[in-house]
Amino acid sequence: MELNITFAGFFSQVLVGLSRAMILFIVSSGLSFILGVLRVPNVAHGSLYMIGAFVAHSVATAVGGVSGFWLALVLAPLTVALISLIAERTLFCHLYEREHLMLLLFTFALALILGDLTKMTWGADYRSLTAPPFLQGSVSVHGTAFPRYNLFLLAVGPVVAVGLWLLTSKTMFGKIARAAAVDREMVGAIGINVSWVFALAFVLGCLLAGLGGALVSPTVSITLGMDHTIIIEAFLIVTIGGLGNIWGALVGSLIFGITQSIGVLILPQFAIVFPYLAVVVILTLKPTGLLKSVW
Amino acid sequence: MKTKNVFSVGLVLAAGMVAAATLFFPAVADARDIKVGIVDTYSGPAAVFGNDALNGFKLAVDEINKQGVLGGKIVFTTRDEQFKVDIALNMAKELVLKENVDVLVGTINSGASMAISEAVAKKEKIPFIVWTAKSENITGKAGHRYVFSTAENTAMAGKSAAVALSKKPFKKFWIAGDDYEYGHAIADAVWRNLSKIKPDAEIIGKTWWKPGEPDLIPYLTAIQAAKPDCIIFATGGLSMTNVLKAMKTTGMENKIPVWIHTATDHSVLKPLGMDAPEGVMGTIQYHYYYPDSAANQKFVKDFQAAYGNPPGFPAFNAYTTAQFIAEGFRKAGTIDKEKFIDALNGLMVDTPVGKVEMRACDHQAVYPMFLGTTKISKEFGGAIASDFITLRGAEVMPSCEEIAEARKPK
Repeated sequence: MELNITFAGFFSQVLVGLSRAMILFIVSSGLSFILGVLRVPNVAHGSLYMIGAFVAHSVATAVGGVSGFWLALVLAPLTVALISLIAERTLFCHLYEREHLMLLLFTFALALILGDLTKMTWGADYRSLTAPPFLQGSVSVHGTAFPRYNLFLLAVGPVVAVGLWLLTSKTMFGKIARAAAVDREMVGAIGINVSWVFALAFVLGCLLAGLGGALVSPTVSITLGMDHTIIIEAFLIVTIGGLGNIWGALVGSLIFGITQSIGVLILPQFAIVFPYLAVVVILTLKPTGLLKSVW
Repeated sequence: MKTKNVFSVGLVLAAGMVAAATLFFPAVADARDIKVGIVDTYSGPAAVFGNDALNGFKLAVDEINKQGVLGGKIVFTTRDEQFKVDIALNMAKELVLKENVDVLVGTINSGASMAISEAVAKKEKIPFIVWTAKSENITGKAGHRYVFSTAENTAMAGKSAAVALSKKPFKKFWIAGDDYEYGHAIADAVWRNLSKIKPDAEIIGKTWWKPGEPDLIPYLTAIQAAKPDCIIFATGGLSMTNVLKAMKTTGMENKIPVWIHTATDHSVLKPLGMDAPEGVMGTIQYHYYYPDSAANQKFVKDFQAAYGNPPGFPAFNAYTTAQFIAEGFRKAGTIDKEKFIDALNGLMVDTPVGKVEMRACDHQAVYPMFLGTTKISKEFGGAIASDFITLRGAEVMPSCEEIAEARKPK
């Protein structure tokens, strides 16, 4: 088989990879934020992403039209945030002092429960959400077709990244959260209610999972099991980027998304392995991840 | 005296009744229920197919039990394999060894079905009827006395596709699909037949993604850039809607012709609604709206009344499976696994699409195949299959000689 790759094809494939990386970044930055501040490896993060997608579908179909889609993008993350707030105040807040294995098992159990609740609420049928007409179809990028919706993702990703940066480095909450990530006892000692800082950080991280789920829904079919795929990818991304480091999540997502899309172009029959190969190489060379881990 | 007489008469009568009861006891004991163990996927993305099959089976069993089979009923118990081979295997073993089921049925996962066939059915000598998994190896290369299939298989799908595609002016093909048993089996089946019918056809590339890969856009944009004449998607329920969706998003619809087995299934098309891509060629053995026969209408009406939605092909397969179980045991005259197997060979049962035979040489149900093309229908509120080409079972199935050849130890 001859390798027939044009520059235009390559360029458009990089763009596709970048847009996929945006979704991965939004989800994994939330996971990383929770890991950093709360030290909780939240396996249920993927379930919240799935719930975000299902809620987005319900809202968009109930309201209908273009406004339904935009409303879904707002309401889905907020619903997920509400669910996570309840989970944090009733369950998680009692568990922060426990060891990691215990937390891992707890969030794993929560993931299974949320998965079944999703099935009970929405059923096992596949669902599909349609993007508004102006985000459907494709545009020509150097003569190669490029999906419009992916262009939209390319615009949303940086907005979320900048928003996160402003929040964590320019606001009081962000500064406290970052401080709590480094030394939670000290933060408590100066009279800050760490419990509520944790709750807010948890809700923010989960909100990102919900946003990711809502944003991804027009490009995939919304099904049970979409939580499994994303949580594995998100954990790998967070690990190669550096645990708890949001910019690490960005770097990891870019690596993951682009190795996948370029791998598909170069050796399509082995497309699955490329992102994982990248993970293996990075972890072999730098076991702590590319950027500084807060752990 | 009189009272004593009455007493002794009563005693004799009682003794007689006990004796009679003892005499008839074996017959009464024999009229037990037939236990069916179902291993299928009831969680995760494939649950939609598992539930559909279960509903079809329940509907049939409820009808059958009104009359009963050999004086008893068909009872069943289900296990969720979670689309995992190891779990499926453990559950099948548990059903056989602990629950003492008479027949095993399931599953949607071809890998799991192959594993149960080999490690449980063959080893424990228990009949196993595969009702959704489509790998041709189940009743082909890896077939044996204890395994049956009431699903259409990749060989049948492959041949149907090859016949249809060979009539079009396509030369450069791209094969893309799920990297597991079903995906590879269907890709091989299409290509084996197509390259025979049309020797100048060539594969210009192949793409394999992991089953259930959520975002197929990077894969499709890469394939599109290679400009094949036609794409053969070797993908099943898990990735099917994703492929169709990505076709729409990447603007591939109506630009590059594609064929996907079961793309015309309504469980695939329904979620996409009016956004399903048109012009996608698909093959399948059952549609609830075609053929428009009285038997099919009744089945669809009953199913819809019971479950609120029309039956998909798994429901049809499972309904047919229940008929084979009931008729098989009736013909065997006793609940005996070996006699049941003998009875199934060549058995004909009534199904919503007419009489279906269980072929004796390979234990494969003989279904006709329908090749259709997706078309948006306002009446249905989404895409349905249209422009049907019907291929008879005998046309698309491998011959008994080919099966014998495939089963020869190499």
